[in-house]
Amino acid sequence: MAGRLRIRHETRVGYPSPAGSSYNEVRMSPLTLPTQTVLDSRLDVAPAASLWTYWDYWGTQVTVFDLTDSHTSLSLTATSLVETAPPTPLPTPLDRAEIAARSADSRLTEYLSATPRTTVSPDLAAQACAAADGLDAHQTAAALTDLVRERVSYTQGTTGVHSGAQDAWDQRAGVCQDFAHLTAALLRAAGIPTRYVSGYLHPSPDAELDRPVAGESHAWVEYWAGEWIGQDPTNGTRPGESHVIVARGREYGDVPPHKGVYRGAPGELPQVRVEFTRLA
Amino acid sequence: MITTDTMLSRIAESLFWVGRYVERADDTARILDAYLHRLLEDPWSDEDAACRSLHAILGVAVPGEQHCDMDSVLARLAFDAASPGSIEGALRAARQNALTARDVVSTEMWETLNSTWHQLAEHQRAARRTGPDAYLGLVRRRAALFFGLADSTMSRDDGWRFVVLGRSLERVDMIARLLAVRVLAAVHAPDWPTLLSASGAEEAFVRARGAGSDPGEVAAFLLLDRGFPRSVLHALSAAEECLVELGGGTSAWQRPEPARLAVGRMRTRLEYLDSAELEQLPALLSELQLACGEATRAVAERYFPYDGPIEWSHQSVTREGA
Amino acid sequence: MADIFDSYTTADAWDEMFERPGVVRPAYEAVFAALSPLDSLELRYRTDQMARAFTDRGVTYSYGGEERPFPLDLVPRLLDAVEWDRLSRGVRQRVLALEAFLADAYGRQRVFADGVVPYRLLYSSPHFHRAAHGIEPPNGVRVHVSGIDLVRDEEGRFRVLEDNVRVPSGVSYVIENRRVMTRTFPALFAEQPVRPVDEYPQRLLAALKACAPEGVTDPVVVVLTPGVANAAYFEHALLARLMGVQLVEGRDLVCSGNKVRMRTTRGETPVHVIYRRLDDDFLDPLHFRPDSLIGVPGIMSAAHAGNVTLANAVGNGIADDKLLYTYVPDLIRYYLAEEPLLPNVETIRPEEPGRLEEVLDQLDRLVLKPVDGAGGKGIVIGPRAERDALDRLAEEVKADPRGWIAQRPVALSTSPTLSRRGDGQDGLAPRHIDLRPFAVHDGSDVWLVPGGLTRVALGEGNLIVNSSQGGGSKDTWVLAPDAPPSRTTGERSTAVSEVSPRQFGPGGTSTPGGPAQEEAQQQ
Repeated sequence: MAGRLRIRHETRVGYPSPAGSSYNEVRMSPLTLPTQTVLDSRLDVAPAASLWTYWDYWGTQVTVFDLTDSHTSLSLTATSLVETAPPTPLPTPLDRAEIAARSADSRLTEYLSATPRTTVSPDLAAQACAAADGLDAHQTAAALTDLVRERVSYTQGTTGVHSGAQDAWDQRAGVCQDFAHLTAALLRAAGIPTRYVSGYLHPSPDAELDRPVAGESHAWVEYWAGEWIGQDPTNGTRPGESHVIVARGREYGDVPPHKGVYRGAPGELPQVRVEFTRLA
Repeated sequence: MITTDTMLSRIAESLFWVGRYVERADDTARILDAYLHRLLEDPWSDEDAACRSLHAILGVAVPGEQHCDMDSVLARLAFDAASPGSIEGALRAARQNALTARDVVSTEMWETLNSTWHQLAEHQRAARRTGPDAYLGLVRRRAALFFGLADSTMSRDDGWRFVVLGRSLERVDMIARLLAVRVLAAVHAPDWPTLLSASGAEEAFVRARGAGSDPGEVAAFLLLDRGFPRSVLHALSAAEECLVELGGGTSAWQRPEPARLAVGRMRTRLEYLDSAELEQLPALLSELQLACGEATRAVAERYFPYDGPIEWSHQSVTREGA
Repeated sequence: MADIFDSYTTADAWDEMFERPGVVRPAYEAVFAALSPLDSLELRYRTDQMARAFTDRGVTYSYGGEERPFPLDLVPRLLDAVEWDRLSRGVRQRVLALEAFLADAYGRQRVFADGVVPYRLLYSSPHFHRAAHGIEPPNGVRVHVSGIDLVRDEEGRFRVLEDNVRVPSGVSYVIENRRVMTRTFPALFAEQPVRPVDEYPQRLLAALKACAPEGVTDPVVVVLTPGVANAAYFEHALLARLMGVQLVEGRDLVCSGNKVRMRTTRGETPVHVIYRRLDDDFLDPLHFRPDSLIGVPGIMSAAHAGNVTLANAVGNGIADDKLLYTYVPDLIRYYLAEEPLLPNVETIRPEEPGRLEEVLDQLDRLVLKPVDGAGGKGIVIGPRAERDALDRLAEEVKADPRGWIAQRPVALSTSPTLSRRGDGQDGLAPRHIDLRPFAVHDGSDVWLVPGGLTRVALGEGNLIVNSSQGGGSKDTWVLAPDAPPSRTTGERSTAVSEVSPRQFGPGGTSTPGGPAQEEAQQQ
């Protein structure tokens, strides 16, 4: 059974004093993949700006725009219509030695090394290796996800956008971004190439058709076991038809939904609203 | 490749101020020279009063009760590199601006300012030992060399116009200051001959009006003489000419822009001045200084809009929620 | 005659001027003959004159907040035509290989897939800018300007010490050194033809115009400087002036709609090619360092859209990383199917299996260089280091083997240099030198300014030549082949056209008797 979802992602930034000009990159357009098809996707910007798109190094569709006239607020509305598929059965994984051999000197190497947000202490890395001892890739992913879920509880407000995997581990608290960073860090420590996925998750898969439901953007991971396998450590599940993939990278810093600079005083956090509507 | 009609605003501003600061150093050196010689030649002069009037002319505050003498004048109005009202301060600022506009200022002009700057320390030491004459002479000669080189090594493009504009407005301002002290504070005021020599106008005045002519005519000469390049009228005309060309020439249906308006109005006012008005010197002088200030502001607004220091704030980002 | 060369002894290195004490190499005979009659006072006088000329012109660097002239030694460094030809072919080859590597690394990454260079090297480089992915240089050039540092070893062979393909600086010294040398020491140039260096600005401008975005027929080129406070500001201003282009700062530029414009007195006007002298990290606060005040937000996007060309390209740092340096000979074989014309200095990579121990065992016999160091920073010369410094170094290398390379110490060649001797007198003494030739790539040709910058370590025995470490420089001569280039013979063959006689006014010619009579009236 395929799902069809409409996603509306609204971001509103108010500036304490008018911004002289601003430059922005937005990564909110879902990818078309074997497991998901994008039927429609667009971005509206107010004040009006001319938009330009390109595909970045990670294969993400990036929308770029600038505002050169003074403005007091900025709002972005990304809407997309996506068909998603349920998860496919888990393939037999390559054995760990084979994974190590194939990723030692290949493009997969990029997903093995730590980035600023996926750096953990040597002790924690050793703990991950120990926990993975003797397990195959799927079992490792499950074991390390359990390790993360036992240690860290889902709590908003304890970690920030710059927090890393070790912060979440130490504070025993975090949100999906932290779960994803931490899981990626541990899987990499165990020698399994892992990437960070940014996207959306419909909060209630059985919601009424055509009825908008408030939700949020989401993050999870994919690890390589011969092919890329999704894993949602926040929920302890495999991503399925409620998950929509927007971007993949090594960590949040590679795929932020909105990145911008403007001339003016530093402002407060933007207001964000994500709304999901099941259409089929 | 640099076409004559485009010039970075930042560079234009630097050129304008190079012109102003070099002229300021030159004028200040002339004024100091005239005053100091006057003091030495007139045994009855009141050194403290004279030195205070000097400060007033140059717009530098005198520290309250402190006694004012030649040495303190030199220390504050010549050697103090930290004050842009002093000779060294002006030369330092001129050099800094020339460095900023280094790709537009000709190498010979730059070297003149740079080597002068490097030689000042040595000349200052000599001046403390043997008197300021050689020091002030160096400043005057280098300023003349600088403008001479500007004249012979810069194309007559906007860059040149900004230098001349800056020089001309500074000149108007300095003459107005000189005369203002004379008419407003007669007690401390320089006498007319001092005033003439401070403006470098002794010989030109005598040639135009004859030796021994009425000293009262000095003001009229410094304000209104068409031929003498350091007269207010001459400098205003030069400034106006630059502004006309910068603004893309005169056109019948276009209202002149504010800077030109301020300068042009003042120029015509002087041209058609009757002798009765010359009696109202104080009012006229303050008008002149207002016009200079107004013109400088208008030029800045039009040609080098100040952008404030550019700092970029990062959009505070939202994180992945669920 | 007290000869300034009398007490000159060669050190344990190749000497550029003397084959052995008293025996001058053929190329240097004329210079030797011109210098020999002078005494050390005369040399010091001329040196001071050159320093004053540099101070007046602003050819200075900042040393502890003070402006100092960049020391120029008056004994030139010579390269004969044959040697220069060999050397420049080697540099050209190297630049082309690095160009190919950059295109590959930011493109299909074949060199990694083929196992010539490990992927790890790319992914772990802090200079691999993924934001530069997808920026296609219009004429394929990423290394518009490069400076390849060379040294001459004990056998007299040139070796590459490091590559600089980001924002190499120093070419202004090449131009200024020649200018001041010809003025203060014209006699030196009298005996032999030296190839001029003043072609550089026009070559650079041509290369910059050649890389303009497609469809732009009359590109506007600018030089982007960090500002007056930058150590190389003099060079930025000089190049802008000699090319006749605007020297801009970040705040002069504004991006909108993926186009770059500059703020002028007549409004905003377009810019097409930016010769930027800012490091990648400061270029665009949206993509790189957010705290950069000297950058231009939106400039990367404009480059991406193909509306502006940045020279040198963003991300070139992966090619002049000292670890990649060790692979350059392989790159030359891989991309060009040629043997390297200029060898590297023998180098060990501690990050390779088993090599770390080898390095640690002989730290006191190796030169250790941080992979990412610039300006001679962080280099440890084993044979000269104290025991505890070596111990600290061992710890650092162990902690980060990827961060270091180890090289055999090369005794850089020496050149006679005016120095204060032990007895307090000035004299010529051997000092170590290197050579940085500058190459300009316009897409069809890699052109080298004849010679380049010879840097000299002014301290006795010192091997680090960077100006930040107390180095100076020498004018570098490439001797021209005996026959003059054909263009001048063409000009010479035209007869000098007839010039009209000068006119004279009163006082221009002496009238016999006149002044004498006037003088006689005085009593």
